[in-house]
Amino acid sequence: MGKFKKVLAIVASLCMMMMLIAGCGADKKAADGGDKAALKGGGSNIIYIITPSHSNPFFKTEADAAAAKAKALGYEVKMVSHDDDATKQSELFENAISDKAAAIICDNAGADATVAAVKKAREAGIPTFLIDREINASGVAISQIVANNYQGAKAIAEAFVEKMGEKGEYAELLGKESDTNAGVRSKAFHEVIDQYKDMKMVAQQTANWEQTEGFQKTETILQSNPNIKGIICGNDTMAVGAVAAVKNAGLQGKIAIIGVDGSDEAAAAIKAGDMTGTALQQAAKIAEMAVEQADKYLKTGSTGLDEKQLVDCIAITAKNVDKLKTFVYKE
Amino acid sequence: MFKDKTSLMMTLLKGRTLIVLVLLLIFFSVANENFLSTNTLLLLAKHVALYGILAIGMTYVIITGGIDLSVGAVVGLAGMIAGGMIQNGVTLQFAGVTLYFSVPMVVILTIVVGAFIGWLNGIIITKFGVAPFIATLGTMYMARGWAMLHSNGATYSSLAGNEALGNTGFSFFGSRIAEIPVGALILVVIAIIAHILLKKTVFGWHIFAIGGNEKAAKLSGVKVDKVKILVYIFSAVCAAIVGLITASQLEAAHPATGETWEMNAIAAAVLGGTSMAGGIGTIGGTIVGAFVIGVISDGMVMCGVSEFWQMIIKGLVIILAVIIDQFQRNMEAKMALQARNESKD
Repeated sequence: MGKFKKVLAIVASLCMMMMLIAGCGADKKAADGGDKAALKGGGSNIIYIITPSHSNPFFKTEADAAAAKAKALGYEVKMVSHDDDATKQSELFENAISDKAAAIICDNAGADATVAAVKKAREAGIPTFLIDREINASGVAISQIVANNYQGAKAIAEAFVEKMGEKGEYAELLGKESDTNAGVRSKAFHEVIDQYKDMKMVAQQTANWEQTEGFQKTETILQSNPNIKGIICGNDTMAVGAVAAVKNAGLQGKIAIIGVDGSDEAAAAIKAGDMTGTALQQAAKIAEMAVEQADKYLKTGSTGLDEKQLVDCIAITAKNVDKLKTFVYKE
Repeated sequence: MFKDKTSLMMTLLKGRTLIVLVLLLIFFSVANENFLSTNTLLLLAKHVALYGILAIGMTYVIITGGIDLSVGAVVGLAGMIAGGMIQNGVTLQFAGVTLYFSVPMVVILTIVVGAFIGWLNGIIITKFGVAPFIATLGTMYMARGWAMLHSNGATYSSLAGNEALGNTGFSFFGSRIAEIPVGALILVVIAIIAHILLKKTVFGWHIFAIGGNEKAAKLSGVKVDKVKILVYIFSAVCAAIVGLITASQLEAAHPATGETWEMNAIAAAVLGGTSMAGGIGTIGGTIVGAFVIGVISDGMVMCGVSEFWQMIIKGLVIILAVIIDQFQRNMEAKMALQARNESKD
C-alpha cells in the first residue's frame, strides 16, 4: 500500500500547484458600458498588458507601470508575455478577446506580424494601444506611443562629441539590422557627429543588441584600432559589453562610450565613470500614457490625440544619473 | 480485494492524462467565467493544433527510439518558403522570368521542401549512423539559417496574394469553416490518418518493432532504414503544415517563427504516454497531452498568472507525468509477475 501513499502525495502536490494559480479571476467589477464609442471593449473590466518577456527589466518596468496605472484607474489587470514570438502574441490576443478584455496594451512582437492580431481585436470591439514599438499599419490600433529614438540618439551624441573634445577616432556598434530602431539611432548619431570634421569613424560592426557580442566585437575592434577614443552603441546592452571589453584592455575611463535605453547597468557604469551617457527611453511614462488614453477612450470614445505619438528621451550623463532608477526619471 | 484495488488504480493511471485534462478544464472554468465557452474552446483547439500536429510527427519519431529537434526550424522555414513564393514569386535567373504559383501549388511545394529536410534527417541518421539528437540538431540550425537567408531576416507581410497573379486565398488556413478553425480541422484529419497508419498497417507495426528492438526488427525482415526515413519525412511534413497554418493565421511569415516549438511537441508526446526509450506511444495520448499543455497555457493566461509561474508549472506537469508513467510501468510488471506466480500455484 506504500505505492498508494505515493500516488496520494503526487495528487496532493498537483493540488498544491493548482493552489498557486488559484484565486485569480475573483472580484470582477461590473463593467460600465453605455458609451457610444467606436470600440466599446469586450464587455469586462480587464486590461490585458502584453509585452516581451519580463526577464528584461525594460519590459518589466513598462508592464508594471501600466499595471499600476490601470489598477489605480479601477481596472482588473492581466499581464502576459509573448516572448517575441508573433504566433504566441496572436494567441494571447485571442485569449484576451475570449476573456472579453476592455482594452489591450501591447509592446508588440513584430511590426508586420502584429497587424493581423490588432485587427482581430478591433473586430471584436477591443481597442489596442501600442507602446514602445510601432506596427506597419495605421488606423488599426488606437494609439501608438513610442520613444523618440531620433531625438534621444541626437541628444546623447552631443554629449559624446563634447567628451571626445570634438576630435578623434571612434567605432560604432549597431543593433540588429532588421530592426528599424537600429537604423534610426545610427542615423541620428551620425547627423550630429558627422558635423565635426575631426571625428573619424574607423570601425562599424553589428552586435545584434547583445552584451556578449558587444564585448567580443569591441575586443576585436580595439585590437585592430588601438587609437580609438570613443564607441557609440545602438543600445545600453551592447554599451555595457563594450565597457567590459574596454576595462579588460586596461583603457578604463579613457574611451567615451554612449548607449540608448537608460538601463540600470548603464546608469551604474555612468556613475563609475566608465560610460559617458545614455538616452533614457521613458518606458514607464509611455506605459502610463497608454493606460490613461485607454481609459479616456473607453469612457469618451476618443483619446483626443493622434494615433502616433513620440515621447522625448532624456539624455543621461554623470550630471543627472542619480535621478534615474529602473527606467524612471524623477526630477 | 488487493487485486481489485490494483486494477481500479491501473484504470485510473492509464486514463490519467485525460483525467488531468478534465480536472484542468473544470478548474479554469471555475477560476474564469469566460473560460468555458464555445469560443474559448474552439480557440483552444486552434492553439493546440499548432504543436498538436508537430507532436503527432514527433510521436512517430519517438516511437522508433529517435527524436526530431528540427521541427521548430522547419515551421519557420515552411512559412518563409510559402511567404516568399506568394509575395515575390520564384525568379529563374537563367530565363529572366518570375513565376507565381497558385496557392495549392505553393502548399505542395512548401510541403516538398519540408519533406526534403525530413529525408535529409533520415539519410543522415540511417546511412551515416549519426545519432538522431545530433543529426536533427544540425538540420535545425541549417533550416533556421535557410529561413533567415530567404529574406535576409525580414518578414514577408503581403501574404494576401494578388488577384492578377492568381495566388490569392492563402488566408484559408487561418480562417474558419462553420465556426471551426481550419487549423483544428487539419489536426483532426492528420490525427485520424496517423492513428490508422500506426495501428492498422504494417508500416505502423514496423515503427513499433524498430522502437522495441531494432536488431530483432531487422532480423525479422523489417526494412529499418526505409521506415525510419519515412518517419522523419512524416515529422517534417507535419512541421511544414504547421508552418503554413501559422503564417496564414498571422498573415505574415517571420524567419524566427517556431523557435523552441520542438520542445512543446516533445512535451505533448511525453505527457501522452510516449516513452522516450521507444516502442510505446499512441496518437490519442499525444493529442490529449497537447490539450493538457494548451489548457494550462491558455487557462493561465486568462487567469493572468505571471509567465514565470507558467514555466514552472509546465515543467512540473511534464516531470510528474513521466514519474507516474514509470510508476505505471513498474506496477504492470509487478502485476504480470503476480499473475504468473498465481498460475504456478
